[in-house]
Amino acid sequence: MTGAAIASLSGFRYWYPNAGVPSIDAVDLDVDGGITLLSGASGSGKSSLLRVFNGLVPHFHGGTVMGTATVCGHEVIATPTRVLATKVGFVFQDPELQSVYPSVERDVAFGLENIGTPAGVMQRRVGEALEQTGIVHLGGRAVATLSGGERQRLALAGVLAMRPRLLVLDEPLSQLDDGGARALAATLVDLADQGIAVVVAEHRFEHLRALPGRSLAVVGGRIRDVDAVARNRANGAVRAPLTSTRTAAPVAWNLDRVAAGPTRVPVLESVSVEGRSGEVVALVGPNGGGKTTLLRTMAGLLAPISGTVHRTPGRVAYLPQNPMALLHRPTVAAEVAWTVRGDAQSEDATALIAELGLTHLADRDPRDLSTGERQRAAIAAVLAGAPHIALLDEPTRGMDDAARDALCSVIVRMRNAGTSIVLATHDRNLAAAVADRTLAVESGAVRELTPAAVA
Amino acid sequence: MNARALALWSLSGVTIALSTGSPVYRALVLLCALNVLLAFRRPGVSLRGLLIALGVAAAIAMATTTLASHTGDHAFLMLPGGIPVIGGPLTLEAAVFGASTGLGIAAAVLAAAPLSLVLQPHALVDALPGALARTGAAIGTALNLIPGIARSATEIRDAQRMRGWRSRRVREWPDLAVPVVLTALEGSITLAEAMEARGYGSGVRTHYSEQGWRSTDLIVAVVAVAAAAVFVAFRVTGAIADWYPFPDLSWPAVGVAGVLCCLALLTPVLVWRR
Repeated sequence: MTGAAIASLSGFRYWYPNAGVPSIDAVDLDVDGGITLLSGASGSGKSSLLRVFNGLVPHFHGGTVMGTATVCGHEVIATPTRVLATKVGFVFQDPELQSVYPSVERDVAFGLENIGTPAGVMQRRVGEALEQTGIVHLGGRAVATLSGGERQRLALAGVLAMRPRLLVLDEPLSQLDDGGARALAATLVDLADQGIAVVVAEHRFEHLRALPGRSLAVVGGRIRDVDAVARNRANGAVRAPLTSTRTAAPVAWNLDRVAAGPTRVPVLESVSVEGRSGEVVALVGPNGGGKTTLLRTMAGLLAPISGTVHRTPGRVAYLPQNPMALLHRPTVAAEVAWTVRGDAQSEDATALIAELGLTHLADRDPRDLSTGERQRAAIAAVLAGAPHIALLDEPTRGMDDAARDALCSVIVRMRNAGTSIVLATHDRNLAAAVADRTLAVESGAVRELTPAAVA
Repeated sequence: MNARALALWSLSGVTIALSTGSPVYRALVLLCALNVLLAFRRPGVSLRGLLIALGVAAAIAMATTTLASHTGDHAFLMLPGGIPVIGGPLTLEAAVFGASTGLGIAAAVLAAAPLSLVLQPHALVDALPGALARTGAAIGTALNLIPGIARSATEIRDAQRMRGWRSRRVREWPDLAVPVVLTALEGSITLAEAMEARGYGSGVRTHYSEQGWRSTDLIVAVVAVAAAAVFVAFRVTGAIADWYPFPDLSWPAVGVAGVLCCLALLTPVLVWRR
């Protein structure tokens, strides 16, 4: 370990319980101040590596460890996570699953309560953390009413209140809109300037590539240095969409003056929009703008408060934001086969599994896979059987570049086969690569963006 | 209001309701508790479901006692003796005793209800003594998971419905139940991991909002505990008479001390600001 390193791993290897292959393999790594970006394919070991910094690996997950890891002067193997928690702040991938208390201030204070901070000090530090993350205006709100982006910032405030020396974030941009992602990136720069070491694992680099710091890749559990060119790779590689055939194709779905909202309070008001067979429509817009409500209304899962929804006959595929909502069969192959049960589509299902790069995972339990792999399994499960209309809510969440490329290929193939596809996404590169039209969904209204506006 | 004061008030109400058989005292406790609930329930909280459930529970208690207890001088119906358990005379005394039992259950439940219908869950958790703080935080967190599980169940049902799942087919219910259970379990594990990462279990916990004792909180707690103590003491010594309708139905004796002890449970309505 170097004298200045905040965290240092030397010859570190880690096996999950009953795993034959190490998830972290012979890693030598020093983390000093500044920002360290970690990239890597789904299942490459990024999340496992991040968890070493606060001791969740191995203390929470069990398993076997070789080598040494030191964080803020503590030997990780000999130090419980609850002790490291005072030095290391950890923001998990899914902000909805890390809120402990129902109100904003209480949730931020949870960590401080755990380490016995006096009430007066705690209230001051909660206020500072809310200010630091730009969510003072959320004070007094119920956590359940916050958007995904707001929850992500709340989670960050919760760890910053504990004044960590090392801040670790696991795919913090996965649910953020462009504005939220830019704001978070700026916050990370500020924190690094204040002397906090920041380690970020992320697939969406379009908002992070300008950050100062170094970039590393995790490949098969090992660390590789990444130069700036590689860092900017696929996310910047915008593919030209195929020529649109929309004017010639029949209308596949249509919303006429629709008002809709999940609790019968309109989130969308007087929306009129249509989509055609063989067309890809991208829905973009800020968190909480109504994209999911629009998709659910199109799917028939949400009855409109007023107006009419029309879909031509045929199967409608729907991918929810949370892929876990689908996965319940013992293997990926069984999961996909379940969708087409009773149909003579099994060959198509096998081909789709291969197309999405899941063949080597076909016999694995989908719930044992990494986030990106689960997402691909869920996509295969809903798209099997050649649906007439496919509605995909944040389909690239947690996906690496290769998986995103595979998904683009599937979307283009299905589009050319006549499927009407609607994507709700924050992933500008996905929209640019496959969308024939882009609709902005914001403040209850839907408007079509011109190609210039999309660019 | 101080959660500990309200908890002591609830404990006192339950104690009085369960330490007497008199329907008069039980009815007084019930009315006082209902008053407190109506005055201080959280915004948006409806009492309708609770009151219906208590009505059903009281009716069941009355029906069960009437059918199963054949004691008493005033029979109003004779069921054939060959019918197991319920065969024999049905008496007015048993019916009234059953009604009083139902009243006692309702009074006790209503006295405890403010803990969930007036206080926020975390306020009650914060009110636990230091030794139970970690357990309390775990309970509070578990309570916080419930709405998430309900949302997740809806999301899973919708997603599976789009893949052809139909609720009418019983054999397909596991296709909904399995992901709901697995998602809830995985959510719990992730939350546990997040709690650990934020220092849960480090040592003595403190609370963001310390609940101070104001004079009105002290008045509520002291009056309620004193009322319950006096009531129980008088019951033990016989200064407050109990009531038993068998074998011959009689009016319950009502004493000033007993009535005052019950009415003392109205103190929150008198001293706490709404």
